[in-house]
Amino acid sequence: MNERPTLPTVTRVDPVVTELVRNGVMAVTEEMKTNLMRTAYNVIIYEALDFTTGLFTADGRTVSIGLGLPMFIRGMAETVKAKLAHFGDDIEPGDILVTNDSYITGSHLNHVTLSLPIFFEDELVGFSCCMAHWLDIGGVLGGMTTDIFSEGLQLPILKLQKRGVLNQDIVEIIKMNVRIEERAMGDLRAQLTAVRTGERRFLELLGRYGRDSVLGAIEDIMDKSESAARARTRTIPDGVYDAESFMDDDGIDIGKDIPIRVKVIVEGDRMTVDLSDVSDQVRGFYNSGITTGYACAQVAYKCLASPTDYPINDGSFRPLEVIIPPGRVVSAVRPAPMRWWMTFPMTVVDTVFKALAPAIPDRVIAGHHADLILATLFGISPRDRRLVIASISHVGGGWGAKMTEDGVNCTIAMNDGDTHNGPVEMIETKYPFVIDRYSLVPDSGGPGKFRGGVGAERVVRPLVDLRVTTHMDRTRCAPWGLMGGGEGAANRVSLRLEGILNDDLPNAKVISRQLKPGDQLIARGGGGGGFGPAWERPVEKVREDVRQGYVTADAARNRYGVAVDAETFSVDQRETERLRRGLSERL
Amino acid sequence: MSESGDGHARMRLAADIGGTFTDIAGFDEDAGTVLFGKTLSTPDRLVEGIEGGVARAGAEFADAGLFLHGSTIAINTILERTGARTALITTEGFRDVYEIGRINRPDSYNLFFQKHEPLVERALRFEVGERVLASGEIERPLDDAEVAALGRRIDGLGMEAVAILFLHCYRNPEHELRAKTILEEAHPHLFVSASHELSQEYREFERTSTVVANAYIGPKVRAYIGEIDDHLKRASFTGSFLVVQSTGGLYEAEEAQRHCVRMLESGPAAGVIGTRALCAALGLENAIAFDMGGTTAKAGVIYKGEALTTGAALLGGYEKALPVQIAMMDIFEVSAGGGSIARVDEDGALHVGPQSAGAAPGPACYGLGGTEPTVTDANLLLGRLGARRFLGGEMILDEETAETAMCERVAEPLGMETIRAADGILRIATTAMSYAVKGVTTERGLDVGDFALVAYGGAGPLHASAVARELGISRVVIPRAPGLFSAFGMLFSDLRYDFVRTWFTALETAPFDEVEAVYRAMEDDGRAAIAAASVAPEEVTIKRAADMRYVGQEHAVTVDLPMDVFENRDREAIKGYFDAMHELRYGTNAPAEKAEIVSLRTTVTGVMRKPAFEIVEAGGPEPSGVALSGKRPVYFDEAGGFVDTPTYVREALLAGNRIEGPALVEEHASTTVVMPGDALEADRFGNLVIAVAGRR
Repeated sequence: MNERPTLPTVTRVDPVVTELVRNGVMAVTEEMKTNLMRTAYNVIIYEALDFTTGLFTADGRTVSIGLGLPMFIRGMAETVKAKLAHFGDDIEPGDILVTNDSYITGSHLNHVTLSLPIFFEDELVGFSCCMAHWLDIGGVLGGMTTDIFSEGLQLPILKLQKRGVLNQDIVEIIKMNVRIEERAMGDLRAQLTAVRTGERRFLELLGRYGRDSVLGAIEDIMDKSESAARARTRTIPDGVYDAESFMDDDGIDIGKDIPIRVKVIVEGDRMTVDLSDVSDQVRGFYNSGITTGYACAQVAYKCLASPTDYPINDGSFRPLEVIIPPGRVVSAVRPAPMRWWMTFPMTVVDTVFKALAPAIPDRVIAGHHADLILATLFGISPRDRRLVIASISHVGGGWGAKMTEDGVNCTIAMNDGDTHNGPVEMIETKYPFVIDRYSLVPDSGGPGKFRGGVGAERVVRPLVDLRVTTHMDRTRCAPWGLMGGGEGAANRVSLRLEGILNDDLPNAKVISRQLKPGDQLIARGGGGGGFGPAWERPVEKVREDVRQGYVTADAARNRYGVAVDAETFSVDQRETERLRRGLSERL
Repeated sequence: MSESGDGHARMRLAADIGGTFTDIAGFDEDAGTVLFGKTLSTPDRLVEGIEGGVARAGAEFADAGLFLHGSTIAINTILERTGARTALITTEGFRDVYEIGRINRPDSYNLFFQKHEPLVERALRFEVGERVLASGEIERPLDDAEVAALGRRIDGLGMEAVAILFLHCYRNPEHELRAKTILEEAHPHLFVSASHELSQEYREFERTSTVVANAYIGPKVRAYIGEIDDHLKRASFTGSFLVVQSTGGLYEAEEAQRHCVRMLESGPAAGVIGTRALCAALGLENAIAFDMGGTTAKAGVIYKGEALTTGAALLGGYEKALPVQIAMMDIFEVSAGGGSIARVDEDGALHVGPQSAGAAPGPACYGLGGTEPTVTDANLLLGRLGARRFLGGEMILDEETAETAMCERVAEPLGMETIRAADGILRIATTAMSYAVKGVTTERGLDVGDFALVAYGGAGPLHASAVARELGISRVVIPRAPGLFSAFGMLFSDLRYDFVRTWFTALETAPFDEVEAVYRAMEDDGRAAIAAASVAPEEVTIKRAADMRYVGQEHAVTVDLPMDVFENRDREAIKGYFDAMHELRYGTNAPAEKAEIVSLRTTVTGVMRKPAFEIVEAGGPEPSGVALSGKRPVYFDEAGGFVDTPTYVREALLAGNRIEGPALVEEHASTTVVMPGDALEADRFGNLVIAVAGRR
C-alpha cells in the first residue's frame, strides 16, 4: 500500500490554490453523490445511501470519496487499478468501464462499479467513479448460497461504453439476468449521470486553475494528509497489541464460532494491522474479498489518525501497512460466496480498537452492535399480484462508550455511515406489513462509568403471507466494554408465531421462514459496551438514566449499585454505598 | 388582529429583528418614498428596538395601515434551547422515534460523533394506544379516557406545551384532532399542537420534529407577538399586523401565535421576496438572492420570476440537525462571512472558516481583542474597506492589528507576503460562497450563468463581483440600503398559505375526482384564511404542484402543474411536466416509464397591492464632483497589485451615473467593490448595476 507511482510534473503549488482545489474536488464528489442519490431507483441507494462516488488519479489513487459507505473506502480504488491493469493503454476518451467482480470490489455482486476515464487535452488525468448497490443482480432469491455462481450475474471488467458508444450487448445481458429490469436500468442510468457529472466538474476545475496547478495541488493535499496521519500515529506508544472477538457462525455450521483475531504493531509513525489470524473463509455467504480486508484496517486507521480530515484520500493511508494472506474471511478467494459481505468486517474494525485500548484508551471506543439489523420480507403483493421484496430497513443499535463520554444511542453501524433508516410511514405505504414498534430498549447499553449507547427494536407484523429472511450476527459475542466497563445487549431476532414468542433461536439467521398475518418479527439491535467500572458512574447520572428510562431501577441496583426508587426516582444513599462497596469488592 | 386594515392609512411599515440589529423599512404611499431606520436589537425588550427603529425612520405607527414583521425569535428559541417545558404524545410504540431519528452518522469516521438532541427529553415523551394504517383505516381506536388521564399527568408535571404525533394522521387526522380537543378543553392554559396542522406529509421523524418545535417555541412566540400587538394598540395603530413566514408569504399575527414554526426563517425569506420585487421592476427573469453578513452567506433563487421554495429544511448543522417539514424559501447557507477566520493547520494547509469571530471579539481590525485574521481583515488590508469609512466612520478599523494577525497567523507560516495571503483568503471565501449559489442552482439543473446576482447584507456588495466572476454571472445588482434589504423585502410580501398532503396514486389510474377533492379541500382552507384576513388582497391566486416519481423510485420531485391539466384530466400533460422537471433537475428522464404521485401541494396567495419603487433623481453619465470622495490604493490580483482607486459616496450618485472599475462605492453600512474591467451604472431606482468584465 505504500508504493508511490511517479506522476509527471508535480510542482509545488500555492497554498491558496491547494485549498481552492481541495474544496473543488470535494464539491465534485458531493455533486456526484447528490445526483446519484436523487436519480436512483431503489431505496438502498436513495435511503440507505449504499453507494460511493469518487475521483481518482490516473493511476487509481483516491483523490476524494463522497460521503457514502465507509466499508467501501478501498473498493473503488482497487477497481480502478484492476481496470487499468486489464486494459493498459487501451483506455480512450468516451470509454466507461464496468465490473461487479466480487474479488476485485471485495464485496457482493450487487455493487456495480463504473469508472469513466477523464481526459484533458488528450491526456488521461483521472477517473470519475461510482459504485451503487443494485436491488437485485439475479441469483438465488432469499436463500443461503455457498458459491459465487449462485449469487447472480458476474460482470468481468468490460467497456460498457467504448469511445462514446454504449455496448447494447452488455445491457441486454444484464436485463435478462436481473429480476426487476426497469430498476436495474434506472440505477444504471443514475450511475452514468453521476460519473459524467464528475467528469464535467473535474474538467471545469482543470480549466479554471490549470492542469499543473490542479494535479500538483492534489499531490500536495495527499502529502499533507500523510504527514497529518503520521503525526497522529507517532502519539500512539510503540508496541504490539492484539485482541480477539468472534462471529456467531457462517449460517451453515450453526453455533460454530468464527474467530476474529487482530494484531496491531505501532512503530514510530507507522502502523501495521495484521489480519493473518482472522478466520479462514467460510462456507456460508459472509465472506468478503481482500479489498475489504484492507478497508477494515483503513477504516480503523482513519478513525484514529485522521477522523475529520477531508477529502478522504490516498495520502492518509500511506503510514498504514496491512498484512493479510488470501483465503481469510475478509480476503476470500473465488468461488467463495460473498452476498452478505458487510457484517463481519465491522467486527474486525471494532477489534482493532479493542487491541489499541491499553495504548490509547482516550481515543478508542468500546464495542458497538456492528450489524445492519435488517430483515427482508418477500411474497406476492395482494394489490397487483407482483413480487414484493421489502426491507424492514436498518434498525440501528447502540455505540460504545468512550473514556470521556457515554455511547450514542441507536445509530447506524460502522459499515453504513450516512445511511438513513426508512420512515415507518413510508414503508407501510409501500409494503403489506405494519410496524408495531420502533423503540429504544432499556438496559441494553453496557454499564460503565460511561454507559454504552442504548439499542433499539423494530417489531414487524405482516398483513399478508410473507416469508422472512435475516442474516444478523453477534448474538453471542456481545458488544464489549473497555477498562472494566460491562458489555451491551447482543443483537437478537425473535419471532411471534400464532401468538407464541420464539425467543430462543440458535442465532439471528432466519432463512425464508413463513410468516402469517398477525405473526411478528422482532429485530433488536444491541447496545454499546460501557467504559470503566459501573460503580464509578456518578449516582446522579444513574438516577437520571432511570428517570429517562434508559436504565431500569433493577439494573441501576444490580449493575450500578445505585438504589433508585422506580416511581419517585429518589436515591437511598446508604443502600447505594453498601451496594457499590459490594460491587467493587466482587472484582 | 385589528379591524380596519384596508391600507388607507398612508404608511406601510416593516420590522426585521435580527440578532444584532432591528431594521425598519417604511413605504409612504402618498409620497411614494421609502424610509429606513436601523437600531441595535435589545434582546430582553425587542419591542423597544422596533419602536426605536420606527422613530429613527421618522415614521409613526398611528399613520400606518400595515405593520409587517419578521423576527429571529422562533429560530433563536430553538437554537438557544430557551423554549417552553414541552411534552410529546405519540402512537404507542413510537415515542422514541424523535430521539432515534434517521440514525445516520455523516461524520462517519469520528468516534466522538454526536446525534441531534431532542427538544423534549425521553421522560416527557408519552404514548397512547391508537393506530391508523397507511390507508387511513383505524386499526385501533383512540381511548379518550386514556388521553384525558395523560393530560392530567402532563399538566401535573408543570408542562406549558404539548405536541401530538400519531402515525398516518395525514391520511386520517381524526385521532390527532380528538386528542388535541380533549387536552385543550381540560387544560386551556396548555399550548397544544398536533402534527397534521403543520404537515400533512409522511415521514414520522420529520413531522415529530416539526410539531415539537412548534410546541416548544409556541408559548414564547405567542407572548412575544401578543406584546407587540399590545404595543401597537397603545401606539394608536389601527391597521393590520401581519407576520412573515419562512416562505416569504404573510399570515395573520394571530395565526403566527399558533403556527409559530412557520416564521422560523422570516428575515432571510423576506430578502428573497425583495429580490423578486426588484427583478420584476427591472424585468429580470432569473436572479440569485445573495445575502452575506458577519457569519454566513445565503443564497436563494428567483427562477422565471418566482422565488423557489422547498418542503423541508434542517435546523443546525447537518450532523445534529433538527428537521422541520414545512414549506420554506429554498435558501442554501454556507459558513462564510466577514467574521470567518483564516487558519493555517498543523500540516501547513490554509482554511477559511467555518469558525467565525462573530461580533465579539470580531475581526482583529475591530480592536476588540480579536487576534485571528478574518475576511474583514483581508478586505481592510487590500484597501477594499476604508479604515475611517466603516459604518459611516462610527467605528475606526485598526489596520496595524489586522496586519499583525494576517502576517503572524497566515503569511509567515505559509511563507507568503501578507498581501498575497489576504488576497488568497478572499479567493477561498469567494469559492465557498460560490458553492452556496451552486447549491441552489446547479443542483437543481439550472445554469447559473443565466442569472443576475442581487447582493445585499452588510458584506454582500464587497464580494458580489468576485462571486459573479467565479460563477460566470454577467450582471450584479446592489439594491439601495443593502443592509436593510430584508425589511425592505417585507413591503412586497403577499398573504400566502401552503398546503401539502401525502396522497398516493399511480398516474395512469389517478382518480381525478378524488385528486380534485383533495386539492379543493386544501384550497378552500386557504381561501377561508384569506377571506378572514384583516387585509383585503387584490386577488387570490392558486398554484398547484405534485410530488412525483417514476414507479419504483423512492425520491420524488415537486412538479408545478397548471390548472388546465386538472380541468382537462390530462394525464399525458402531467407526465410531460414531470418528465421535463426530471430532465431539468437530474439531466435524465425516462418518458417510457410509468409515474406515480406521492403528495399533492397547493399554494393559495392573496396578492397584495405593492409599493412602487422610488425613482431617484437623474443625472448624466459622469458622477458629480460631490460623489467622488477620494482615492486610495486597492489591491486587485487581476491588475497585478495595488491600483489607485477612486471612492464614491453612494448617496450622491444619480440615476444614469456611470463608473468604470476599479472603483469603490461607499455607504453607511456597506461598500460595493467595482473590479477592474467592470462597468457600474446607477439605475433610475438607485440600484447599482454592475456589468461584470469578460462575461457575455
